[in-house]
Amino acid sequence: MNRIIPAGACNSGHHLSRRSLMKGLLTTAGGAAVANWGALTHSQTIAAEAKRSGKRCIMLYMEGGVSQIDTFDMKPGRPTAGPFLPIRTKVNGIQICEYLPNIAKHVDKLAIIRSMKTQSVDHGIGGYHMHTCYPSSQRVPHPEIGAMVAKYGENPDSDLPSFVKIGSGSGLYGAGYLGPQFEPFVVADDGKLPGFANPSVAADVQDRRGELLNFMEERFAEQRPGEPFAAHRTSELRTLRLVKARKAFDVSAEWERAKARYGNGSFGRACFTALKLVEAGVPFVEASHTGYDSHNDNFPVHKANLQVLDPAWASLLQDLQDRGLLKDTLVVWTSEFGRTPAINFQAGRDHFGRAWTVVLAGGGIKGGQHYGASNRDGFEVQDNPVNEGDLFATMYKTLGINPRAKHFLGSRPIWATPDGSKPIEQLLG
Amino acid sequence: MSALRLLLSALAVSALLRPAGADDGRLRDTIDREIRAGWAKEKIAAPAQSSDPVFLRRVYLDLVGMIPTAEEATAFLEDTDPKKREKLVGTLLADPRFARQQSHAWDLAMLGRSAKLVDGTVGHRNRERFRQWLAKQFEANEPYDRIATKILRAEDDGSQLFFAVNSGTDEMVTAVSRVFLATQIQCAKCHDHPYEPWTQKDYHGMAGFFVRTMTVEVPGKPEVTNQKGKRYLVGEKAVGEALFATEEIDPKTKKKQSVPIKPKFLNGAVLTEPEAPKDYVEPKLKPGEVPPKPAFSRREKFVEWMTATDNPYFARAAVNRVWAQFMGRGFVHPVDDFNSQNAPSNPELLKAIEAAFVAHKFDLKWLVREIVNSEAYQATDLGPVADAMPKHYERARIRPLSVEELTASLHVATGLGLESALKAEPSSQMLQYLGQPTDGQGRFQGSLSEHLFLHNGDQFRGLCRPNKGNLPEKLLTGSEGWDAKVERLFLSVLSRPPTSEEKERFVKYLTADPKDPKAAAQRMEDAVWVLVSCSEFRFNR
Repeated sequence: MNRIIPAGACNSGHHLSRRSLMKGLLTTAGGAAVANWGALTHSQTIAAEAKRSGKRCIMLYMEGGVSQIDTFDMKPGRPTAGPFLPIRTKVNGIQICEYLPNIAKHVDKLAIIRSMKTQSVDHGIGGYHMHTCYPSSQRVPHPEIGAMVAKYGENPDSDLPSFVKIGSGSGLYGAGYLGPQFEPFVVADDGKLPGFANPSVAADVQDRRGELLNFMEERFAEQRPGEPFAAHRTSELRTLRLVKARKAFDVSAEWERAKARYGNGSFGRACFTALKLVEAGVPFVEASHTGYDSHNDNFPVHKANLQVLDPAWASLLQDLQDRGLLKDTLVVWTSEFGRTPAINFQAGRDHFGRAWTVVLAGGGIKGGQHYGASNRDGFEVQDNPVNEGDLFATMYKTLGINPRAKHFLGSRPIWATPDGSKPIEQLLG
Repeated sequence: MSALRLLLSALAVSALLRPAGADDGRLRDTIDREIRAGWAKEKIAAPAQSSDPVFLRRVYLDLVGMIPTAEEATAFLEDTDPKKREKLVGTLLADPRFARQQSHAWDLAMLGRSAKLVDGTVGHRNRERFRQWLAKQFEANEPYDRIATKILRAEDDGSQLFFAVNSGTDEMVTAVSRVFLATQIQCAKCHDHPYEPWTQKDYHGMAGFFVRTMTVEVPGKPEVTNQKGKRYLVGEKAVGEALFATEEIDPKTKKKQSVPIKPKFLNGAVLTEPEAPKDYVEPKLKPGEVPPKPAFSRREKFVEWMTATDNPYFARAAVNRVWAQFMGRGFVHPVDDFNSQNAPSNPELLKAIEAAFVAHKFDLKWLVREIVNSEAYQATDLGPVADAMPKHYERARIRPLSVEELTASLHVATGLGLESALKAEPSSQMLQYLGQPTDGQGRFQGSLSEHLFLHNGDQFRGLCRPNKGNLPEKLLTGSEGWDAKVERLFLSVLSRPPTSEEKERFVKYLTADPKDPKAAAQRMEDAVWVLVSCSEFRFNR
């Protein structure tokens, strides 16, 4: 550790995006830009924007801890198996739960990591760890993955937020040391906007007071090129653009046709909204499916949940593929931890981090394969253990983000993934 | 005015020939002499002084945590006394709001906005008891070394939050060295420090002073409304050692061997302490109980060492922090990271202020008075520099209003009066959307949620909308002419009169629907909204 760390340094990526924001600001300083934003919200323009920018990520988060043995790591014939039966899939040698029949048709896209070995097996700390890849006990404000992807994947010219969280059931861990620009923009469970995103005044009032604000800001900025003023002004302008572009969140019209395939409930709608947002250029969307914490009655709970999950997830993969977006969109299926192989006296399964399953698809991930394995009854990892940092390094790498990207909290250097984290090369295309 | 400034800079150049700190004059003169020397060295043109309205708003926010009322603004702007700035500084330093503002600043400096207690975040209300305790210290102008001593002794009711937040040994070591010594010794916990002579053993030596300290929550119901937050007790056990895991493997346990490390001060001296009492048994503690005060307190020995006038870290850390509070950037930046790779911007001035601060017996109010009376503090907000915190202080710093300042200032701006401004607590939404507007490096970043909240949040709109007794309503129903109304509006919100262009534009905006009272009320709300939403209001510059 003799490396000299320049105090207060920051990476050039940060400067680049700031500079382009400034540039955007200058072009709007004439005041005419307000009128032009309307054009940006036109859907064709949004589609063009989307094609131009880099990779995206949709994270499907199973809140409460999903059972690996009742989904992707089944143990037929073993005492830990439970009543669910495995079914064959599109890929020879990969069998999954009978309640995931639609997903079975997409297994060629899935990389199934059956050797997750993680540290934090309670909800608060597990949620933190599986969103940031760091333990919360370090008491450092680590950014969650959405903020990291937003930082490196955002298109500063986009009208939409760079990190959208559909429902906050999986917890809000925030942008941490990356700053409020990358805070999650939280919408309701079904993808609808929060109340205060809807204009509180009529459009003409909004426009005319916007002009008056612009008048004040322009005069103020004349001899004051300070960066904070510019940042304030830029986010005000982005907010106005978001208000105009908020229709991207309103999928009602198309939902009528899509709901039969996705499943007519809030998780189905959340997945469909995620598709539409990614299509519109949002680099990170998280949708959470709540209620997996089955300490009692594990099997009815999982059966009900999987029947909601299956059509929504499968339709999302199908639609991403049909639109040519899957190769650039990583779809992650994860949770705070798995569930015990042992079945408790209340027919439940408890929290379990020693050997569980996370599934990746799209975004350059090589599908149709298992990675790692648990042992015969699923109590331990048998091959290729994967920890939180390894998983995140894999996701970051396929998203084009350096897993060892360095940031600073005050003078303290912090890396995107912990020291020693290794991307799983076998999964990367 | 500018001729006078030329004269002053000429005098300053001649003053350059004298070594820093050589005279016994006022510290503010030393500050200005050294800052000018810095500009000369960097070939930076001396900036102009701030205009009266800019100084007025800056000094109110910095000293009393809110903008001036229209009356306060008028009184200052119309005062013709050439010493009116110094006079105002004196008035504000004597105002009880100064202690309140300092308590917020030091609370946030010590605990951060989102510090976590074991059982959750230290919410705004949870820290009120600590803030009130701090405010009492500032009100009495307790010397800084006394305040630091009391916080680390943690005996006063209300003072214990520092240890309640930093409850583990590692956290105590990190926080104490960061806050009071401005050093980042925690790097040496896991590996020898990358560029300081500190080793892992030094770190664990520091830990020896705190390893026996413990914090408990006092059981029972908190205050009826929980307004002041939870109560804690801090105690110290009589035994316990900081352990250091060596690289050697214990042949019996097959684990790395742990050896106890004696308490050791940061500059190398090992603590001499009496033999531990033999056969001592730690008493069993009930919930909410701390051990009896030990006969020999390691923590007290640390505090004595830390606050000694010849401690090389303590005074310089305080001076750097206070300087940064008012000047934006510490001589050493970040403010809590003195190290051999991080040279101060004005090393001579730092030394001079440090020496004077010790000579003045750690008198914080005196230090603040000297800083804000300097020309350096009163520099202009104009000019080509884009940096929020210019390294050589060639323009005033730009900082976002804290959510406390924003809340109070919104009440002042909309004419709800000082009492209401002092009582107003930031709402949880304000804290969520405006509470921490900077990244890990202290750079301001606006967020979409902040602006959406400002646009459409009910609470924000409620303040701007004409309502019984507030300024928008008074202006709407008042009998004076529109020019006078717009002037009053600008004075209330931006602490300055409008330019003629602004006056014309706002009068036109406000009078566009003369016959429709509802539309006129909406226009009044719009005008207030614009003024409280613009950069000029959001920042202290």
